[in-house]
Amino acid sequence: MNASMSYDVAIVGGGPAGMAAAERTIGAGLSTCLIDEQPRLGGQILRQPPPGFAVTGWQSGRLYRAARALLARVERLDAFDFRAGHAVLGVGAGHAEEGGFALSVQPLATGGVERIDARRVIVAGGCYDMPVAFPGWTLPGVMSAGAVQTLLKSPQVLPGGRIALFGTHPLMIVLAEQILAAGGEVAGVHFAQPRRAMLAALGPRLPGVLRAWRPLLEGARGLANLRQAGVPVHFGSAIVRAEGGDALEAITLLRAGGRERVACDVAAMCYGFLPQSDLVRQVGAAVRWAPGPGGWETLCDEGMRSSLPGLYVAGETAGVAGSDVAMLRGALAGVTLACDAGALDEVEGARVAAALRARIARLAPFTAMLRELADPQAYLPEPELETLVCRCEDVSARALDAAIAACAEGDDGFGASAVKLRCRAGMGLCQGRSCEHAVIRRIARASGREAAQVAGFTARFPARAVPIAELLERDAPAR
Amino acid sequence: MSGARRIEEGVRRPDRVTLRLDGADLAACPGESVLAALVASGARRLRDDREGTARGAFCNMGTCSECTVWVRKGAAAWVRRRACLVPVEADLCVLTHAPEAT
Amino acid sequence: MTPGSSHPDILIVGGGLLGCASAWHLARRGLRVALVEQSQVNAGASGQNAGSLHFQIERRFLEQGEEAASDAARIVSLNRLAIAEWQGLEDMLGRGLDIAMHGGLMVAETEAEMALLAFKVARENALGLPTRLLDADELRARAPCLSPHLAGAAWLAEEGHANPRILAGAFAQQAAREGAVIACGARLTGLAMQADGQYRATIEGLDGLGEVTTPRVLLASGHWSARLAGLLGLNLPLYPVPLMMNVTERGEQVLPFLVQHVGQRLSMKQSEDGNFLIGGGWPSRFRRRADGLPDLDRPGEIVEANLLGNLAVAARVMPGLAARSLLRSWTGTTCISADQLPLVGEVGKAPGLFVAAGGSLFTLGPVLARLLAQTIVDGRPADELALFLPDRFAHLNAFAVLP
Repeated sequence: MNASMSYDVAIVGGGPAGMAAAERTIGAGLSTCLIDEQPRLGGQILRQPPPGFAVTGWQSGRLYRAARALLARVERLDAFDFRAGHAVLGVGAGHAEEGGFALSVQPLATGGVERIDARRVIVAGGCYDMPVAFPGWTLPGVMSAGAVQTLLKSPQVLPGGRIALFGTHPLMIVLAEQILAAGGEVAGVHFAQPRRAMLAALGPRLPGVLRAWRPLLEGARGLANLRQAGVPVHFGSAIVRAEGGDALEAITLLRAGGRERVACDVAAMCYGFLPQSDLVRQVGAAVRWAPGPGGWETLCDEGMRSSLPGLYVAGETAGVAGSDVAMLRGALAGVTLACDAGALDEVEGARVAAALRARIARLAPFTAMLRELADPQAYLPEPELETLVCRCEDVSARALDAAIAACAEGDDGFGASAVKLRCRAGMGLCQGRSCEHAVIRRIARASGREAAQVAGFTARFPARAVPIAELLERDAPAR
Repeated sequence: MSGARRIEEGVRRPDRVTLRLDGADLAACPGESVLAALVASGARRLRDDREGTARGAFCNMGTCSECTVWVRKGAAAWVRRRACLVPVEADLCVLTHAPEAT
Repeated sequence: MTPGSSHPDILIVGGGLLGCASAWHLARRGLRVALVEQSQVNAGASGQNAGSLHFQIERRFLEQGEEAASDAARIVSLNRLAIAEWQGLEDMLGRGLDIAMHGGLMVAETEAEMALLAFKVARENALGLPTRLLDADELRARAPCLSPHLAGAAWLAEEGHANPRILAGAFAQQAAREGAVIACGARLTGLAMQADGQYRATIEGLDGLGEVTTPRVLLASGHWSARLAGLLGLNLPLYPVPLMMNVTERGEQVLPFLVQHVGQRLSMKQSEDGNFLIGGGWPSRFRRRADGLPDLDRPGEIVEANLLGNLAVAARVMPGLAARSLLRSWTGTTCISADQLPLVGEVGKAPGLFVAAGGSLFTLGPVLARLLAQTIVDGRPADELALFLPDRFAHLNAFAVLP
């Protein structure tokens, strides 16, 4: 590993939360390093076109306005170090005397592994689309909604000629409009939940929700636009299977009227999002099972401090709540950290933090409504026994169930790691990110527990698979 | 082949370069990810699973690792990378299968 | 614990390889066996080690000089028994255990290391272990994936590897079929010897506290065995050792052998699935508790220099490894005894108290469990255990007071 660089703050993740945090720590005069795997700032929600591309009217929709303003401000800042294209492999204890943290990072372009030392760390890792296993889901052409969206946003690529969307999350409406705007064809938007379930989630919260009326209006307008464009939008229309030879040719959906087979070359799933929290778990901060789609959200206090001194979280890593909340939480983490570091006057810091918390509170009813409205739990498709649940190690639902049954013999408290050891689910390249929630749910169902009561996989170094040659690029003294 | 394509309206791209993909030439835009170039070319099968069944792009955010390929820049060594995180540039070779052992 | 097991013939503490294998052997011989495990079967070192089946004299014994080497040489005869045990294990347990005995290489990089190997091979051959010295050319012919700079290796055809993730569980399953009661999530919190010589054990289980009265107790809990013996006021010289292991992504099969290094800490093999497992006894580090003492309840943390050191040796021995991706490094806690040899047998000061621990016992575990079960049933130590009897440390318990 190569020689280290030292900062007051290292921020992992260059999305809305990470950028907002950086704006505050830089503003407080703290030396700040922002690290992201992507080549440009913005995170997934603002995946920018590559350098050298010029895109007219890029992300000009109202939903992106605040995040775009933040991006513009942060891109103008010059007093910080943005490590684009760097993967964080691990967060470990820093110097024995000085404390802090040591981050192992891999510059993806040049290779090797470098060490970044930081007195404090903010993990703003964002979230990823909940991967959902159903018959045929491993066919090329079945992908996450985020994959389609980021292909549109950044390289300006339409991944298919006919794109079908299915799941439970209203983001499908936004994505369908983006596909149409790009000149693509949407082969249907299929909400698994019935319309009345969505209205039921909306109704009781209406007064509080109306304060965040803009997204609702955008959603209603989006639906109208899709209808006008002739895009079928169905509710209570659940995916059954994806079909094709070497790649996707069609999906089959089941709804009250019967089965429908929809020809398409891309089918994108949209069941909500899981927090990226492998780094906080690796370093040992406390997490809890998240509501709705699940996954692990980091426990933090009202100042975004994790259970580990010096480690802060921001954005979706602290619980999925959307980019507006992510920006506010990022700013809050930055302000708290600056106060803790003595770089910001405590009275002033408390005033700013209180204002940020008040704004977060105003968004809470909308966040809660969206979570309930989009909750996939009652609408997850069922894999067949031969369906692969672990995509990396090719572990079928049948093999997974056998491992769960074996673990259950004489032991009713087993977790996902015990199951992994028996059947290899979670042992592959994605390090369990794709299947962990499904393994946990299946264990919970088989053993009559809540998912929150089932221990997850143990997060280990490295957070991303890394070639051994790159780790060894510079020989360290060995004992 | 899929109906995938690059969006042309309102988009100005740098001049294309040639990517070597499994020994064949593929025109691609500098800066776009190798995965985007593959998807735009209509390629769908990125790897085979342990049963020999086709797999393709899944998350495009560096999380699922489905698009992990071997990449070589110029005369450097082959390295394992997630194709969604490798920008296209001149002199880039990509293999979807393991390079011959040396 | 179920009521039926409150008066077992033996209480086994620890659901690792030794505990589960002993449970099976004893249950088959008609004893009423109760086994308690504080977390899950195979959750400790038995499931976290590299799964090496190594029968050559270990590097750690050679580096301790002539005296330890002579002890190690006596282990060779036990290793020969262990080879036979492993060869029959899948039939005995009636299931596959991913046992691959395709041979093992202990490689040397320098002439000095070759000389050490020659010394070792001569000693092993004298004791009937058919190791063979390979020169550089012979090594290259046998294992072309290894580095051409290697000076040679000692070859033993019976070495290999097995799957540590399933072995202890397979023993536990068979033990349960033979009537053994296995309780997970059950912790031994109290242990006393009664006036009649029987042991009274307090078990804190998932459903509250339970009492067990039994004539025999077997401590098979790795380094925890020392702490549990402490409940009786006894000393066992067993110490925790935090280690680390690494695994790469899957790749095509190129290495059918176990590879060790005579001069460096290294064990390397390719699993049935194609992953490379890389270890060899590189230390991790215990995290600290709030009071500053090492936290034995949590996995250790990786020491970066040791991670790199381990990978560097492995990549030097097999250059093709460098291109492969490291998928995961993990830590586990094994244990070591005061003289590096396991403690297996009865504690003289406390009749009926047995111990089976000492670390790095994956290879020897199955045969030691068989010999221990024989010892317990026969009421006298099996000859092959002479070197391992806990009473070589009897002086540590000279001042213990038992009823």
